[in-house]
Amino acid sequence: MISPFINIANLTKTYKKGKTSITPLENLSLEVPKGEFLALMGPSGSGKTTLLNLIAGIDSPSDGVLEIDGNDIRGLTRARLTKWRSSHVGYIFQLYHLIPILTAYENVELPLLLDNMSKRERKNRIDAALDLVGLSDRAHHRPTELSGGQEQRVAIARAIVHDPGLLVADEPTGDLDRESADSILNLLDSLANDHGKTIVMVTHDPKAASAAHRTLHLEKGVLIKSES
Amino acid sequence: MLPFTYAVRNLFRDPARLLQTVGGAALVVFLLMAATALNEGMSGVLSASGSPKNVILMGKGSEESIERSEVHLEVESIAATSVRGIKSVFGQSAVSGEINYMAPIKTASGSVEQSILRGVREESLLVHETVRLLEGRFPSPGEVMVGSLAHRNLGVKEDDLAIGKEIFFGDIPFKIAGRFTAPGTVLESEIWFDRNDLATVTQRSSLSSVILRMDDAEFDDVQIFTLQRNDLELAAIREDTYYDKLSAFYAPIQTMTWLTAGLVAAGAVFGGLNTLYAAFASRIKELATLQSIGFSRVAIFISLVQESLLATLTGTLLALLLSLVILDGRTVPFSIGTFRLVLSPLVIFTGLFVGILLGTLGILPPAWRTLAPSLPKALRST
Repeated sequence: MISPFINIANLTKTYKKGKTSITPLENLSLEVPKGEFLALMGPSGSGKTTLLNLIAGIDSPSDGVLEIDGNDIRGLTRARLTKWRSSHVGYIFQLYHLIPILTAYENVELPLLLDNMSKRERKNRIDAALDLVGLSDRAHHRPTELSGGQEQRVAIARAIVHDPGLLVADEPTGDLDRESADSILNLLDSLANDHGKTIVMVTHDPKAASAAHRTLHLEKGVLIKSES
Repeated sequence: MLPFTYAVRNLFRDPARLLQTVGGAALVVFLLMAATALNEGMSGVLSASGSPKNVILMGKGSEESIERSEVHLEVESIAATSVRGIKSVFGQSAVSGEINYMAPIKTASGSVEQSILRGVREESLLVHETVRLLEGRFPSPGEVMVGSLAHRNLGVKEDDLAIGKEIFFGDIPFKIAGRFTAPGTVLESEIWFDRNDLATVTQRSSLSSVILRMDDAEFDDVQIFTLQRNDLELAAIREDTYYDKLSAFYAPIQTMTWLTAGLVAAGAVFGGLNTLYAAFASRIKELATLQSIGFSRVAIFISLVQESLLATLTGTLLALLLSLVILDGRTVPFSIGTFRLVLSPLVIFTGLFVGILLGTLGILPPAWRTLAPSLPKALRST
């Protein structure tokens, strides 16, 4: 039997704020096979972003099993988690989070600076990533010189340039017009289907969710429905 | 590691903030360099003014102030014959009975300022070995010779004390016959009179001090002489000890200099910190993004230090240039002399040290505030 790319069992996250505790995620179990494009939906406070952050290694769980591509990331220290993220995860944000003083090329280059890679190899990879998102001609533009859709494409190029197995996307189309959103969803779909990336996407938009292979609905930190 | 260009480009994100940071650092570094130069100059001139080979005989009970001291005229000759081992040049003992006096002096330009006067004879040059005539000659009766920095103490132009011009003690004119230097000592700010002239105009019948230059003699030999000749009511003090004591007298002024510079610098540091807080606070989300990509907090911190050091070292460079223009070589008069501000290795080192300290320690509080929040919280920040 092939083990799932993401294996989550009884995952719980509790935040302590003074004397009170908040549990945005409780006893959640989930398996995601490699190459699946998964959408997470739910109202605000349902725990979907918390789950996304745990899967991305941005946050650490309080309890439960959390394995990504066979790696148990639950007990990793902040420093080890940072190193793990640098090679295994690509994060796509709703508001792109590009570095405004860097060009598109330099933004995409950032994850590669963490590897011991020659300048030529970095250039080849960046050119390929920008080509994949259709922005080769915008390589030397700064984020302020790009449209929202183009910025998100640069962000996707940055997320895939170091070839991580997992892409996490937090409302990647939330700030885009319909046309740009569709184009981003097609790109994500292609990354899952043609390049074997496992994608976990948080969205409020049912149309965006419909682009995914499977949609999970969360409410108050509990998985309530799964749609294919 | 983040590329160095990231730190460089970040500097120019907000030119107004950059100016504020560079200006603040320049102000702090300049002030502390000025304080160091001032204190080093004052201490330097006082310590250089006293020779360990010279012993001063003063009136008992007046050891604190040479101007108030009174010594019998005959002490000069008695000391020369009684103390063995005094330096002798061509049969002339290096013993100098002198009158020290502070009085207002009027220059040819009409300005009147308090000045340090010394009544001497030609033999005085045997004990003050740093004194060199720059031009002219040793003063005869009715003449004076002026130290090369005397004009600074009088607050007049150098030309006002040129050879051939006159100065006035009260209404009595004295012609300037010579100019002398005594590098790095308080003597350079003095006006030297013929001793008899000064005794006459100040209506003194006694000396202020007798200075002996030791050859084989020890200080104890002079001390014994003062005890044996108790009738002369003398106190002996080594010349370097005398100036060290004067130095201690000026210590509160030096402390005040540090305090004032420190307080203004502290204000500028807090202003700078505030600017850095604001600059980094606006980038919390961006720095969190870099962490989410995989850059460690240490790597980001190093980049922030690079950025901060670039700004503060630019300020330091600016302060060094300012110091070169404004401070270096400037003479500062004080009550007993004049000293020169010099960009010595210590002053430059102080500037560089403070600049580096500002760039590294100054960054800690804002960097901590920016990098301490949890990653999910930092990514959500506005």
